Amino acid sequence: MSTETAHTPNYDDAVTKKFLIASVTWGAVGMLVGVICALQLAWWPANLNVPWLTFGRLRPLHTNAVIFAFTGNFIFAAMYYSMQRLLKTRMFNDVLSQVHFWGWQSIIVAAAITLPAGLSQSKEYAELIWPIDIAIAVIWVVMAVNFFGTIAIRKVKHLYVAIWFYMSMVITIAVLHIVNSLVLPASATVSYPVFSGITDALVQWWYGHNAVGFLLTTPILGLMYYFVPKTAGRPVYSYRLSILHFWGLVFLYIWAGPHHILYSSLPDWAQTTGVVFSVMLLAPSWGGMLNGLLTLRGAWDKLRTDPLLKFWVVAITFYGMSTFEGPMMSIRAVNALSHFTDWTIGHVHSGALGWVGMAAFATFYYMVPKLWNNQLYSVKAATLHFWLATIGIVLYVMAMWTAGITQGLMWRELDADGQLQYPNFMDTVLQLIPLYWIRLVGGTMYLVGLLVMAWNLVKTASGVAPKDGPEQVTAAPESLPTPAK
Amino acid sequence: MSKTQDQVLGHGDECDGIEEYDNDLPAWWVGLFILTVVGGIGYAINYHFVSETSQLAQYQAEMAEAEAQWPAMDMTATVVVTEEMLAEGKDLYMTNCIGCHGPEMKGGIGPDLTDAEWVHGGTFNEIQNTISKGVPEKGMLSWEPILGPQKVQKVTAYVHAAGGGQ
Repeated sequence: MSTETAHTPNYDDAVTKKFLIASVTWGAVGMLVGVICALQLAWWPANLNVPWLTFGRLRPLHTNAVIFAFTGNFIFAAMYYSMQRLLKTRMFNDVLSQVHFWGWQSIIVAAAITLPAGLSQSKEYAELIWPIDIAIAVIWVVMAVNFFGTIAIRKVKHLYVAIWFYMSMVITIAVLHIVNSLVLPASATVSYPVFSGITDALVQWWYGHNAVGFLLTTPILGLMYYFVPKTAGRPVYSYRLSILHFWGLVFLYIWAGPHHILYSSLPDWAQTTGVVFSVMLLAPSWGGMLNGLLTLRGAWDKLRTDPLLKFWVVAITFYGMSTFEGPMMSIRAVNALSHFTDWTIGHVHSGALGWVGMAAFATFYYMVPKLWNNQLYSVKAATLHFWLATIGIVLYVMAMWTAGITQGLMWRELDADGQLQYPNFMDTVLQLIPLYWIRLVGGTMYLVGLLVMAWNLVKTASGVAPKDGPEQVTAAPESLPTPAK
Repeated sequence: MSKTQDQVLGHGDECDGIEEYDNDLPAWWVGLFILTVVGGIGYAINYHFVSETSQLAQYQAEMAEAEAQWPAMDMTATVVVTEEMLAEGKDLYMTNCIGCHGPEMKGGIGPDLTDAEWVHGGTFNEIQNTISKGVPEKGMLSWEPILGPQKVQKVTAYVHAAGGGQ
């Protein structure tokens, strides 16, 4: 352990630890379900003919588990850890912190029971039935009160960039979730949305796209602004870039949702709005990538030995890549080919596995040694995890690109008579089976990597003497230029 | 780059020790931002007010192009059957029809096509109509949306010839 007093008793690190353990645990569950889904797509008998193990029920279980359980708990762990240190104060109210933690886990358990049981609102990423939606809203507000309360009692004047990004999540997710979940209940488990037809679809994708924006992007950027300079021991590259890309991102993101329903009954002008705002999102997104990568200037030599920085570089690179791909796919001509194909699945996973996952791993490897006051048990295992995850993502994404473009082209292929070359949908599906096997291999590697990390973190937390030399442990933050105290 | 390059702002004590430079925005990044904003607005103006390529207009243009390339067939016209049509029709029969009518056209789930009886008429146009529209109440699919008119005609030619149509 470095000389830094990470364990200032004033901070509530107990709740951070809980969120961290929950994230790794649910992450393993959620990714295992993902691997089972991938297997079923390659080889359908893997559903064992049991209704609650079929793809239609496991798929929302997978997405909800990795988005709200793995990523949600990861964000909360990183947020509770960093905001207390950035604001130099303990959380506003310990009871609210506990209610937030246990409430969130109860919601996850409720989701894990209802989704396989077939109870669903049939809205993507908002499948959970209305009583659970109400619980999410209540727990989110509890967290928001605690969050803004902590900002109110802060001991510093300046609000660091990470806090702005967290704030954008706390506010926006509340608005999105509440509006998209407005339903008229018909029974305890069944409800009907208050919006109808294309309006409902538009509200759904306003929610769906911004769940990606304000849960999987802005809070991760926020914690990047904390953990990257901490890990690299370097100042953030540009304060003004952080301001500009923050406001650019939060202003532009919220309009981009209609690109999910191009070439539908949505009016043309609304579709164009989605396309234009998506394209304009490119530069603000890349602003975050630039600030992340340029912060590592002067720390590139550490990349050879420090697995944490390796994880960050891949995370930020995948962020840049998928935020280039996203605007591309929202262009009408590209979308006409990519929509409804596995290209979309590949795009989501390059963001989810590449950006969110790798950022989570880097953050866990940073926090666990600090929280439990031990050195990381095995740097070699962390490096192994890095390669398993990186190769896994590449296999996954390449397979899905190929599958998506193949199927998209097959759907539009005409024969000499002007008829569909592949009128039988199954012909286009069977073509993808080999690629589905490759995807399964990639996803399995990613899951195995996560399990290696879990083992490594448990060893670290339990205080086993490190396997590898202490000189390989990540750069301590005291190498930062010392500001005037 | 300006003289502010790599100058720390000096509020690290308020940010858990994290320092921030206030470096200039990369020029190419600013250029990219302007390009996407101007390009995006230009695209919208062109799409809606200049070239009038609405979704409906695109659809109609595509359909008109297809109509010109593959004109609609007159399904009541007399068809001159060629050897080529019969060969292709046989292939189509073997792929799509043998499940119900059998490889020898002796029937199974569907009726025998070689006997003298034609349930829905045995002339070329009657057989073609049955294949095109199907017999939903008996489980016979409507094949025109699946095969298209040209292929329906080829299967008809084969069934009419090999099954001894009227």
